[in-house]
Amino acid sequence: MQMKKYIPEYMLSVFQEQGLDPSTLLYAVHTDMTPDGGDADVYTVVSNDSLLIVYGEEKVVKTVGARRIVAVFKTDKVEKYPLEELGELSVERLISTGRLCAEKEGCPRILLLFSIGYLADAERLIKVVKNIRDGLAPLNEIAVDDELFCPKCGTRYPEPERKLCPKCMDKISITRRLLGFFGDYKGKVAVILLTMLAGSAFAVASPLVGTKLLFDDVLTAGGAWYGAVLGAVVLIFLVRSVGVALNILYSYVLAKTVPWIVYDLKLKIFEAMQRLSVGFFTSKRTGTLMNRVNKDATNIYWFFVDGVPYVIVNVITFAGVIALMCVLSWKLAIVCIVILPAAIGMFRLLWSVFRRFHHKNWVYSSQLNSMVSDSVNGQRVIKAYAREDDESRRFSDMGGKLADVDIRTLQTEYTAFPLIYLFMFLGQVIITAIGGMMVLNREITIGTLLSFIAYLSMLYGPLEFMSWVSNWWARCVDSAQRVFEIIDAEPDIAEPAEPVILEQVKGDVEMRGVRFEYDPATPVLKGIDLSVQAGKMLGIVGKTGAGKSTVANLIARLYDVTEGSVTVDGVNVKQLSLAQLRQSIGIVSQEIYLFIGTIADNIRYAKPEASLEDVIRAAKAASAHDFIMQLPDAYETKVGAGGHELSGGEKQRLSIARTILQDPRILILDEATAAMDTETEAKIQLALTGLQSGRTTIAIAHRLSTLRDADSLAVISGGKVVESGTHKELLMKKGEYQKLYAIQLEGLKVINMDSE
Amino acid sequence: MENNTQKTASNLSEAVDIGFLDLSKAEFYVTPGGFTGLKYGGEVYQRIVLRRALPVASAMEYISVADHENREIGMFRCVDSLNAGQREIVVAELEKRYYCPFVYQVKSVKDKLGYVYFELSIGRDGRRYDKTCTVKDVSKNIRMLGDDRLIIFDVDGNRYMVESLAELDKKSLSRLGPYLF
Repeated sequence: MQMKKYIPEYMLSVFQEQGLDPSTLLYAVHTDMTPDGGDADVYTVVSNDSLLIVYGEEKVVKTVGARRIVAVFKTDKVEKYPLEELGELSVERLISTGRLCAEKEGCPRILLLFSIGYLADAERLIKVVKNIRDGLAPLNEIAVDDELFCPKCGTRYPEPERKLCPKCMDKISITRRLLGFFGDYKGKVAVILLTMLAGSAFAVASPLVGTKLLFDDVLTAGGAWYGAVLGAVVLIFLVRSVGVALNILYSYVLAKTVPWIVYDLKLKIFEAMQRLSVGFFTSKRTGTLMNRVNKDATNIYWFFVDGVPYVIVNVITFAGVIALMCVLSWKLAIVCIVILPAAIGMFRLLWSVFRRFHHKNWVYSSQLNSMVSDSVNGQRVIKAYAREDDESRRFSDMGGKLADVDIRTLQTEYTAFPLIYLFMFLGQVIITAIGGMMVLNREITIGTLLSFIAYLSMLYGPLEFMSWVSNWWARCVDSAQRVFEIIDAEPDIAEPAEPVILEQVKGDVEMRGVRFEYDPATPVLKGIDLSVQAGKMLGIVGKTGAGKSTVANLIARLYDVTEGSVTVDGVNVKQLSLAQLRQSIGIVSQEIYLFIGTIADNIRYAKPEASLEDVIRAAKAASAHDFIMQLPDAYETKVGAGGHELSGGEKQRLSIARTILQDPRILILDEATAAMDTETEAKIQLALTGLQSGRTTIAIAHRLSTLRDADSLAVISGGKVVESGTHKELLMKKGEYQKLYAIQLEGLKVINMDSE
Repeated sequence: MENNTQKTASNLSEAVDIGFLDLSKAEFYVTPGGFTGLKYGGEVYQRIVLRRALPVASAMEYISVADHENREIGMFRCVDSLNAGQREIVVAELEKRYYCPFVYQVKSVKDKLGYVYFELSIGRDGRRYDKTCTVKDVSKNIRMLGDDRLIIFDVDGNRYMVESLAELDKKSLSRLGPYLF
């Protein structure tokens, strides 16, 4: 039987002592608190018929990934609960803890308290118990080790949804994958590499020509080219010119290649985003990811434009220079090689200090920018509350912190760099001294010594670059990782392998035992049963946050239910073709989105092939035609970001027109008129009435007046349907609906009295 | 002007009742199942929810008491206004809800791919143990509270408190240094 990896073997004997056969243990979780809030090592294990909780303290000698090497476990307390004595298990999310609760002998009871990180584990434990009670395989639909732990080293993923192991994060494989994007540009890449190689070779050769050849062969009597000064100068110029020409060539080809690679990357990201489910975009985690897509692509761009070429050039230069130094004089080369590590160490130390400063600088700059943006956007409020001076003070405080970090960065820079250069110069002095002695002893020529000094100075550039390029590389890999995360992400809502395609969607909708949660242990729907027949109207009412919009999201399969089922014409939506399902459902919600484009384009979004006449018909049916025609550019008016500003009611009518054009069999009206004034609402209601005829309509509203024509109504409260029936039936029940109705009626009376 | 301000403030307090509980009539208790309950004004609330209005800055002041359905029953200004027995129950419930162990030592810090991994020695009430916590977006999730206290929020939602930076050892402090804003 599969056990979670982090339950150590030795715990099996502890369970055995408690009368549990280890082979009957189905699942176990390790948590960290006692029910009264104390710290403890707690193991909760599920067998076929019981739940055993062992409290104690373990002495962990070492933790290797997820494996806890434990010296000893001291058992403090054991609690055993036969499953038949426990009612339904539930997890409650507190602030930074969670608790596992159940009814026992008719009394609600806290079984387990744990820090919030164990919430998902506790939920899985509940699922195992539920599976046992439902007669299913205990680990049915349970995330097992592979989904929670890195398969390579066993470390638990910091974020289970982001299968990224910090220990095994392999920079090289990510870079290799990134380099894979160059695959389509092999020719250009070959030209770039060849020209870089040749350019570096010329750069390395230039001191040989410019110093050794000049001093030893041209200016020294008896040299091979003695007196040929003009020829030597021309040669020096030529070597330099060819080097520069090669540099220009590779930069030119590189500039023509990398933007296309980044374009490919961005296109892949964008295409991947279109595939993903709504849940991916609404989660906070991916919200941040999305914002960073452009920044990440830019990071990658600059690393490849600036970083990679310099890495290649510097590595070649470094290797070439060292090789030539060894050829010129191995003794002097050894002296250089001794000096180099000290220089590398100094550069690395300096960059690590700078990185800290830069990080702080980045944080303070971001905060300062946010403050400026806050101040600009909130000017009306600032002025209304006469808080100008306070805002300036806030800015001054933050600006002061930033200035302080800047001062420390600059002070370090202005002190450390000259010292490092002085150290380098010291290296040069040592080489000159030793080399000078060697010249006097006729071990080397003056040209060799000068070449050597020139080569030594050529080493410092690559050294400095190499000392910080690793950080740049790490940032690029980090960006690439986030980009690949989006590209590789699997949509939560997937098209079934063999989708059911209905000949014609009638529009029967049914929800049975639907449970749903956006976040672990925060259920939004707790077992919803609803149904509406084709062509009928169901009204859903309830307070804000009751879960009404979630019902709409589940019917359209923007999310999948956690438990239960949603069917359309008797077929589970998970089995239906996604394209057919979405085409059959039209949603008019409070959130209206208009894309950048003309009004006609926006109405046509649901049906791109629709003729202009159909667009006008839809606009007329949505009571939008009149206001559209009053705009100077009528149907060609640009809307969306940067376009013509429309009022909320106007936008809503365009959205209704879009839905009319779509001609869905099932219409979901999710608080479509909630934010409208009375006159606009009346116009929109008129448009909606036209739209509803002959379709299955599910109307969600907290204003009961908008639901008066519903064939049936359901009142949702606390994630459950607490009442259902017709308007009359519900009033008779004198329950939640009647309460809501009375409150709204009272409100209207007050308004009437005021107007009198 | 001053009179006007005072008058307005007084009007606001008259117009809006925060709903402070009369603690002399409140009795917090622990149910046999381990939940915290409240007897107040003739009502018995078997399970209550206690929440801090200022969870970080002033953890024991302005506490809201709500029923199991999250309907607020009332607030009270300070835990110290309760008698010893009652205070113990309330503090225990709050500590359970806002569990936040102290950081005694920062053993190592690794900054990798947008995450910072802290290996901490943490605990409460004399017990210490090591834990690796993962922090994302350090500028938001590592917060200074005044000049000397620090709170860390990890990716799971756990909180860790450095009660006094001055009392941390030098190595721990230098490891935390880059993240103190």
